Amino acid sequence: MADWRRYLREHWRYFDAALALVVIVGSVAYIYDLLVGSRGLDVAYIVRNYTLYLHAVLTNVYATTIAFLVGMVIGFSVGWLRTARTVALSKFVASMRVEKRERQESPSQSEGARRLLVVLSLLWYGTKYVARRIGDGLVEVIRGTPLYVQILFASSFFIVFLPQYATEGLLIGIIALAINTGGYQAEIFRAGLQTVHSGQIEAARAIGFSRLRAMRHVILPQALRLIIPPLTNEYIGLFKASTFLFVLGVPAEISYIAQHQGFAGDVFEIFAMVTAIFLAITVTLSFVVQALERRFRIPGLGFEQVKRPRGVRIAPAGG
Amino acid sequence: MIRVNDIQKHFGALHVLRGITFEVQKGEAIVIIGPSGSGKSTLLRCINLLVEPDSGQVFIDGVQVNRHGIRHEWVRQQVGMVFQSFNLFTHLTAIDNVTLGLTRVKGMPHDKAVQKARELLARVGLAVKENAYPAELSGGQQQRVAIARALAMDPKAMLFDEPTSALDPEYIREVLDVMTALAREGMTMIVVTHEMGFASNAASRILFMDAGKIVEEGTAEQIFQNPKEDRTRSFVSKILR
Repeated sequence: MADWRRYLREHWRYFDAALALVVIVGSVAYIYDLLVGSRGLDVAYIVRNYTLYLHAVLTNVYATTIAFLVGMVIGFSVGWLRTARTVALSKFVASMRVEKRERQESPSQSEGARRLLVVLSLLWYGTKYVARRIGDGLVEVIRGTPLYVQILFASSFFIVFLPQYATEGLLIGIIALAINTGGYQAEIFRAGLQTVHSGQIEAARAIGFSRLRAMRHVILPQALRLIIPPLTNEYIGLFKASTFLFVLGVPAEISYIAQHQGFAGDVFEIFAMVTAIFLAITVTLSFVVQALERRFRIPGLGFEQVKRPRGVRIAPAGG
Repeated sequence: MIRVNDIQKHFGALHVLRGITFEVQKGEAIVIIGPSGSGKSTLLRCINLLVEPDSGQVFIDGVQVNRHGIRHEWVRQQVGMVFQSFNLFTHLTAIDNVTLGLTRVKGMPHDKAVQKARELLARVGLAVKENAYPAELSGGQQQRVAIARALAMDPKAMLFDEPTSALDPEYIREVLDVMTALAREGMTMIVVTHEMGFASNAASRILFMDAGKIVEEGTAEQIFQNPKEDRTRSFVSKILR
């Protein structure tokens, strides 16, 4: 009695895999039977039309890539903004106090110049504060609402406020996708930037790097290497999400064509082709990215840990 | 060379530095000791303005550096810093760690920077490791690269923040040797360390800090053999054992 139980426990993952295989094969077979049934697979349709789909998917790749690149800019900016724990109001107040004291000690500058300085720094802090809040809002709204709704929202926005562009489905789609992926990428970038040890920034600043240049030469090279996998993930997700563009009526795009061709029958064939094309592209992409990761890998950075360096022990923080 | 006048620093409600005043002459090496949390690291960071003092003045070569109109980046190029946890740039090889500041901060041409970096790595005894990444180096080697990186900027003075306390005992020697050599060559140094050997050999003075104040100041002999203050005596007896 206990024997088969133990056997099951020890070999569970084989059963697990077998079960998954049965379910997948079974459901594909069921769909095949449902859609194709006795009429037989329409090979002629596939042969006649596969170039149409291959051509159409290029529009998706195009829209995805443009949106992704714009999203990277949004994502990096918002992500960086969000790494600041608080845009410290207290720090601002403190610096203003120092300023005031210095003014009393050495009233060298004119009162007008002082006033201007105070106003300018107030503006700068205000902008930072507001930008930070907008960034927070973007992330929460983007990841908290369905992409479908976001695309419809973008479309209605154009219809109401920019009606002359309301028929530019592809443009609207790319904008919607860019903002969407920007929100997600903000979190990816934030995670990447925060993973880089604070000692790295301190060391860079100690040899005279400004905050911006430390970011460029020390933090980003490390953070980018760390976030290659989640960024790939995001690109693939966005690529699949680009099929939502059919909502906007982009005739060149693959899901639009699939829908319209589907009215004439051959639904299974269309399914199969679209699936195959998407799989081929995403799998190729992930192989390319893996190769890239190997190419840029650095010992001791990220997941691929080398052996612990000799002679280092975890030390308590110094006083 | 370096003068610190009545520095105060708070972190929130924590009063870390309570009026620190001291002066370091050119070519002098001083050692700061004191219990954990006494503000030693914060004091060092106030000198190169990684931490900005709430009040008080920091002078380098007679120039007050913690005031409006002086760029912190410029100040930090005048004083090199070596950290407890090395903080080598993980994504760069040993030589690139040394050249990064030269090419990107000082704008030195790449081939010149490489030449200078090679000389410095040779000086800390790591000429053969120039293409190793930090993770491929031992702790002692990493710290020596970090010293070379700081020296590359031609600093007027060097700050060491517990440079050997993250190291296994067998690697401490090599780092201390490099530091002692530096002191002999006349580098102005402020070293936070509990290495008594180094303090006795290389330091001209020792400052004992506790609770954000300098409690006692003197030569290694005075501090270690007959300290005046009770707090110094009890701390020294703990670390000398």
